[in-house]
Amino acid sequence: MKKEFLVSALLFLFVVLLAQYVSSATQPSVSASSCWVWPLILFLFTFTIGIIAPMAGVGGGVLFVPIAAAVFPFSVDFVRGTGLIMALTSALSSAPQFIKKGLANMKVMSPIVIVSIITSVIGGIVGLWITSTFPSGKYYITMVLGIVLFLIFLVMMFSKRVEYPEVKTVDSLSQALALTGVWYEPSLGKAVEYKITNLPIGMFCFALVGFIAGMFGLGAGWANVPVLNLVMGAPIKVAVSTSMAIITVNDAAAAWIYLAKGAILPLIVVPSVMGISIGARIGARIAVKTKPVIIKYLVLAIMLFAALLDVFKALHGLGII
Amino acid sequence: MQEKEIQVDSMNTSFARVMEIFTWIGLITMVIFGLLYLFDLNSYVSVASVISHWGNSESKFWQETKGIRISGYLFLKHLNTVDCLSMVGVCILALAPLFSVVAALFRSKKIYTILLLILTVEFIFAIIRPLIMGGGG
Repeated sequence: MKKEFLVSALLFLFVVLLAQYVSSATQPSVSASSCWVWPLILFLFTFTIGIIAPMAGVGGGVLFVPIAAAVFPFSVDFVRGTGLIMALTSALSSAPQFIKKGLANMKVMSPIVIVSIITSVIGGIVGLWITSTFPSGKYYITMVLGIVLFLIFLVMMFSKRVEYPEVKTVDSLSQALALTGVWYEPSLGKAVEYKITNLPIGMFCFALVGFIAGMFGLGAGWANVPVLNLVMGAPIKVAVSTSMAIITVNDAAAAWIYLAKGAILPLIVVPSVMGISIGARIGARIAVKTKPVIIKYLVLAIMLFAALLDVFKALHGLGII
Repeated sequence: MQEKEIQVDSMNTSFARVMEIFTWIGLITMVIFGLLYLFDLNSYVSVASVISHWGNSESKFWQETKGIRISGYLFLKHLNTVDCLSMVGVCILALAPLFSVVAALFRSKKIYTILLLILTVEFIFAIIRPLIMGGGG
């Protein structure tokens, strides 16, 4: 456990320092070697995130966006565009498997995404409008990103997860849509049936989450899962799986805003997606065997550090400090 | 009840199957042309130029690299370049959920047909909105 913690922490630190070093060394002119150095650093960075994120139970985007915005030389516009595509790719890769097992449920997903798809697109528009309209727009976005990350840190630190929530009463809308499901749980050796409640409250929460996801290029599993689990009564496995299915639709719709504004660059997106995809496969295998609590605290510490760094960078950019 | 006895309805399975297919097509397209782009083979914006200007906001980036203001899906006009072809891969990924919803629509029943129809219209609007209203913001 100590070895895993040490290796993850050192690798992460190495990549961040390397990014900082190359960033300061390659600004004035671009050499042929730096054309290869950046994709390689991005690959290593996202590969490391891919390994540690599943062990901490978070998606890669929530680590990539704030850290990349703080330490990499790219504009926050391209960081958000890349974060969105990374979250989309991860969700697209896992959602079909969850759906086939009966864990992710389109019945639950459909009424939610009808609302959140609109707010995620609005979030994308507002985010890009701020950076292109205001001269210091990118610093405002970076500052709010730091604050949002701090809120995510608090949610992750203090929210509890209920394995099998007990749903006593079902609201009329959930009843009308027959929001129920069943899946086979190998650890129990039996099929588990569940029902969903509080759909109107859930839809309102997802509208807010969709806006944040679109605006900052985050996958938003950190918010989707507690809402589905604690507010709507979905068992934790169903909540995690359905959250992935929701992310596919929300992030895909918001991605079109970034595509139309040219805020997605293949030079940043391709190594990042490759790194996180390969890293996540390794991370998921390790996470099945062991989920060291220390890794979760490491990720939480990184998130807190990145939040502070984002706020500092924004305040510095605005000339306040 | 055993695992094999759990029946996932056809609306869900159609959605999953179509999503899987388009995710693979999109990923392969994006990665192959993205890797070719690193060799700077016939690119729309050269790698060196991207690195020199990626610290700017998207509007300033395009202004300084190509002298243009992006409005709509510009990369579709330059499909003879590897970076734009890599973007087509991203587009296929971003279209995968739409195709999946449409596939599920044909297998859905009653109220879910209406919900998926609304979702399809919203998704299509999200795609064509930059073309009819201009840009992203």
